[in-house]
Amino acid sequence: MTSQAKDNGTQRRSVPSREILSQTDRVVNAISQHHHRSRSVKTTALDQQIRASEGEKMVSRASSSRQRERSPLRRQPEKQQGENVRAVSTESSSMTSVIHQQPMMLSTEVTLLSTALSPLALRVNPPPLSYQVQGSKKPTSLDRMGADVQHAVIMEDLLYVLVGSEGQYIRFHERYNPSVEADRLSGPEFRLAKGLDPSLRDLTKNLLKLATHRSSVEAFIEIQSKTEYGVVNHALCAAIRHIMKEYLALMSDMEYKMLTSASFTLNTFHIETMDMARKLAELNYIVQQISRKEESIAEYTDELGTDFDKIMETLKANDGNLNALNNIGISKTTSMITKGGDVIKLLTDRLYSVSGDPAARELLTYLVREASRPYMKMLNMWLHRGIIADPFNEFLIKEQKSIRRERLDEDYTDEYWDKRYTLRKDDLPPQIGDGRTCDKILLAGKFLNVVRECGGVDVSNEIKDAPETIDDPRLLSNINAAYAHANEYLLSLLINTHKLSERLTSLKHYFFLDQADFFTNFMDVASHELRKPAKNVSTSKLQSLLDLALRQPGSITATDPFKEDISVQLNEVGLTEWLMRIVSVSGLDPRDIAAMQLSTTTPVTDKSSERDDKKAITGIQALQFDFRIPFPLSLVISRKTILRYQLLFRHLVALKHIEQLLGVAWLDQAKTAGWARRSKSVHLQKWKSKVWNLRAKMLVFIQQVLYFSTTEVVEPNWSSLMAGISDVNTVDALMQNHVDFLDTCLKECMLTNSKLLRVMAKLMSACKLFATYTTQLSKTLPGIDSETADADSGAVDKVTKLESILLQYEQNFDHHLKILMDALNYYAATETVVLLSLCARLEVCMISETRNGL
Amino acid sequence: MCIGQCGNQIGSKFWEQLCLEHGLSPDGNLRTDLPTVGGTADRKDVFFYQSDDTRYIPRALLIDLEPRVVNGILNGPYAKMYNPENIYVGSDGSGAGNIWASGYRAGETLADELMDMLDREADGSDSLEGFMLLHSIAGGTGSGLGSYLLERLSDRFPKKVVQTYSVFPASQQVSEVVVQPYNSLLSLKRLTQFADAVTVLDNAALSRLAADSLRVQSPTFDQTNQLVATVMSASTTTLRYPGYMHNDLVSLLASLVPTPRCHYLMTSYTPFTPDLVDQAKSVRKTTVLDVMRRLLQPKNRMVSTQQSANSCFISILNIIQGEADPTDVHKSLLRIRERGLASFIPWGPASIQVALTKKSPYLQSSNRVSGLMLANHTSIASLFKRILDQYDRLRKRNAFLEPYKKHPMFADGLEEFDDAREVVEDLINEYRLAETAEYLA
Repeated sequence: MTSQAKDNGTQRRSVPSREILSQTDRVVNAISQHHHRSRSVKTTALDQQIRASEGEKMVSRASSSRQRERSPLRRQPEKQQGENVRAVSTESSSMTSVIHQQPMMLSTEVTLLSTALSPLALRVNPPPLSYQVQGSKKPTSLDRMGADVQHAVIMEDLLYVLVGSEGQYIRFHERYNPSVEADRLSGPEFRLAKGLDPSLRDLTKNLLKLATHRSSVEAFIEIQSKTEYGVVNHALCAAIRHIMKEYLALMSDMEYKMLTSASFTLNTFHIETMDMARKLAELNYIVQQISRKEESIAEYTDELGTDFDKIMETLKANDGNLNALNNIGISKTTSMITKGGDVIKLLTDRLYSVSGDPAARELLTYLVREASRPYMKMLNMWLHRGIIADPFNEFLIKEQKSIRRERLDEDYTDEYWDKRYTLRKDDLPPQIGDGRTCDKILLAGKFLNVVRECGGVDVSNEIKDAPETIDDPRLLSNINAAYAHANEYLLSLLINTHKLSERLTSLKHYFFLDQADFFTNFMDVASHELRKPAKNVSTSKLQSLLDLALRQPGSITATDPFKEDISVQLNEVGLTEWLMRIVSVSGLDPRDIAAMQLSTTTPVTDKSSERDDKKAITGIQALQFDFRIPFPLSLVISRKTILRYQLLFRHLVALKHIEQLLGVAWLDQAKTAGWARRSKSVHLQKWKSKVWNLRAKMLVFIQQVLYFSTTEVVEPNWSSLMAGISDVNTVDALMQNHVDFLDTCLKECMLTNSKLLRVMAKLMSACKLFATYTTQLSKTLPGIDSETADADSGAVDKVTKLESILLQYEQNFDHHLKILMDALNYYAATETVVLLSLCARLEVCMISETRNGL
Repeated sequence: MCIGQCGNQIGSKFWEQLCLEHGLSPDGNLRTDLPTVGGTADRKDVFFYQSDDTRYIPRALLIDLEPRVVNGILNGPYAKMYNPENIYVGSDGSGAGNIWASGYRAGETLADELMDMLDREADGSDSLEGFMLLHSIAGGTGSGLGSYLLERLSDRFPKKVVQTYSVFPASQQVSEVVVQPYNSLLSLKRLTQFADAVTVLDNAALSRLAADSLRVQSPTFDQTNQLVATVMSASTTTLRYPGYMHNDLVSLLASLVPTPRCHYLMTSYTPFTPDLVDQAKSVRKTTVLDVMRRLLQPKNRMVSTQQSANSCFISILNIIQGEADPTDVHKSLLRIRERGLASFIPWGPASIQVALTKKSPYLQSSNRVSGLMLANHTSIASLFKRILDQYDRLRKRNAFLEPYKKHPMFADGLEEFDDAREVVEDLINEYRLAETAEYLA
């Protein structure tokens, strides 16, 4: 290289990069000096990068802007750097202030950006583009140079271009505008000055590709290092910076060789940078992928219009901060950002597709590993502590803080459990992306969360042996172990600490009346109150009566540890009507009861109040219990399940009530002289026998149904549930078992089938009516009895009337019983096998024809 | 309420049995030597109340006109358990002399004192449901005083259930008390009119059962009474160990007694085991079906009746204690139906009710399940018929009527006898009729 060429170089350099010569001494061998300088700059840059990639706080580093190629910056006065820090803290991330649309005069001053894109991003104004600078001196045309000179200047230019500046003969294309993010991301196109020797031209173009890739990757690093891009992106950028450092080292090496070795040609240059070029091409591919994905998301969100939820959430998160409006803008961009699991997914996918290429695979493996580190840290936090430390919403679990567990009390949809933590299904890294694994992750953390909220997590032991990167082979086993551990933890919390089994047992006492003595007592003392129409019943009075019954010494419930938690409620809708609504809404699936509840509590009441006026239900029909369940248990025994308990409870209470009514009728008929004494009139006596018989029949029917519902439905299902509790391994299985148990009970108690429900309701009301009818009769009966003794014709009429009424009752009951039997037979054969047993029992007891065959 | 010699003997056994089942020591304290059974659900307060010193006191009245048996109780190990205020012993120590009328008369004179005791106990019960009366109908005190009390009870507590355990005279052998038919007849009238459920026990059947299960030639009263106590305690298990159903007397009895007058129940219990009766050998396999089938066998009944071809069940309640599987019960019911092991009245529901209850946690039993059957069977009428026949035979000769005529009730004539005879005859006819389909027609 001739000295002339060097001179030329110095001169020329002042044109594209004003800052380089602005404050430096004009020395003859500027290039070599520049070389030394850039070396030393690199060392400091390296330093900073290392620290940056260690994930330290980036804002603090903002002042020491890392300028690899623009050495003069190092000489910026300290004062300006201080300003810089302040500028960063104002946090408005835009570059628009530096847009230079108008052609301008070349100035040789370096100015700092008022704000930087991201903590480690470029902090000085980019030099004006050559095509925007007026009056720049035209360099000597290439045509007028020999091949040697061409070779030298093009090599020189390439070195500039490859570190991001324009050269004399290689300029940015006009289409490239560095102030536009998209342009920067896609990398500049270059224009080669005319007249370059074709032999050099191809190689140059090849190397220019490298320059384009480098720029786009650099831009990517700067943009993706913005705070809102999340830690995974940050980690990825840090990893890429490492590669870029290698790249710089390579470039300085190239420069050194160019300056010192005469044998260093463009060809060698090309060959020596080949490996790096491939790496950067791969990086560029990823960059393009990520930015393309962001674009498509952006389009998608544009279609959606404003993502209202997101904005609301941002507003909430900011607590009415004045910056909230600003943040809305950000939140809109955040929603378009590819981050977190999505980035890892993208990298992994690429890794799989290039796995045939060892170099690319190595690179991508490296990237995946590095990028996943913060992700894995979050994952481990979640898996082993149940904590989400995810400021940028990039983790696979989404937490909705607005859903509080306090709402579990009136929550009929299990919202807390189902919605508080959800999976971001769309951007799961494939390593943990398959359904079972990510569900396990979700549940493991969820469980730990519950345990933590109950103050039970043992945080003292460190998270040991947890894989730090996503390609660690122990990943899955770690997840599985954490899942098992969390399950074990929560199960033991539920079953041992919070005594789930005892809870369930006392639920069984109160809702299934398995030791019904307290309830019999309660019905006794409260019978007056319960007879009233439901609207006039005083809940507080019932509550005190219930407390009385529960606390009665000697009764079994007196020793129940949870008796304080039970309370009386009055439902405004009768059981059958309610069930009919449920059944008609959701077919045979009782799972939608919860949804039903919501609708009954709110709008339907208007409609039903109208109907209630017509068919006002009495206190006993409206009676239901409520059971307060403390927090962790309320996950298993949620409102949803309590509702099912209540439905079953009301069914049993209805049966019990009728049994009691019939019992009262029996006692009455046995005790009242009018009934018990033998009547003179044969007719009346026969009638009495018939009444007794029908009453006995009804009683037997009710008792059989009650027996069936309790002993053959609840009890076996119950024991299998209890047996399951000790075997169950996962909390979700436990919850599922519990719900299944209730659903089975509902179904087998004939509460989910509209036809059976209707027939049962008819039969039950027939029994009830008959019981009250006969009880009323006891008053008038002695009178009729004595009248018939006189063989009065009026009395005979009365008896005939009684007989006809009785006949109606009889026929009504028999008719519906027949329907019920048929329906039972049908459903026993088609869906619920257990009904067969009820069927058989009723057959044994009720149908006289079959019985005669005995 | 234990009345008379027999009643008190059975009663004391019954309370002993209850004490065992509830884990109480003879002085009424909770026994501490028993392993505490966690969460056992027994209701001691059904038959006991707690005194100030937390002892459990039986809600029992012991009434006898002669002091022998009661004194025997008071000298026994369980003496401290009873409330002394609740024990009435005839002051003159003469007893009723096996004459119904004198027992009844004694009741009239002692009415205030006895009703005082009753009222006090009734007030002490939080939710009084009914009374249980233990007596025999052959003697004087049990039948006479018992009859009187039955009348007064239904007068004073018209809405309360009155259940009696009445020991009927041994039918086959010649009665030791010659006026037994008189006493029985007069008591039967009251039982028919004023009791809601009468569990009929028969000394002859009891001793036969005891002999069978114990393999002894002539069982003592102590042993037969033990059988009765077992039956009584079993029939009240649903009250004392509450389950889903049958937690009160009414629900227990209502389905058993469909028509008010036919309220005579017979019982059978199986198996009697060494725990319950000494020296019996347990060679049986106790499955639910086995138990239920055995219960239906006439020889296990505690009443000996003559079955005719027409006699049939009106209703059955089986109380199965122990670990019975509902499906087993279901299968057994089907089997019984298939085999035609039980025939039912043709006009009403054939109610075989089954109540599953727990076993007492305080008693170790070698059988898995044991069962009690309470049944309303028409053949019980044959028992009444026999009493009626015996009465007729005596009455024809006007034998032994003198002691009765001494008392005001019979001073003017013997209409009371005729009246009682009519009631019993009606009862027999009603049972007869119930065997046919014409009952309702």
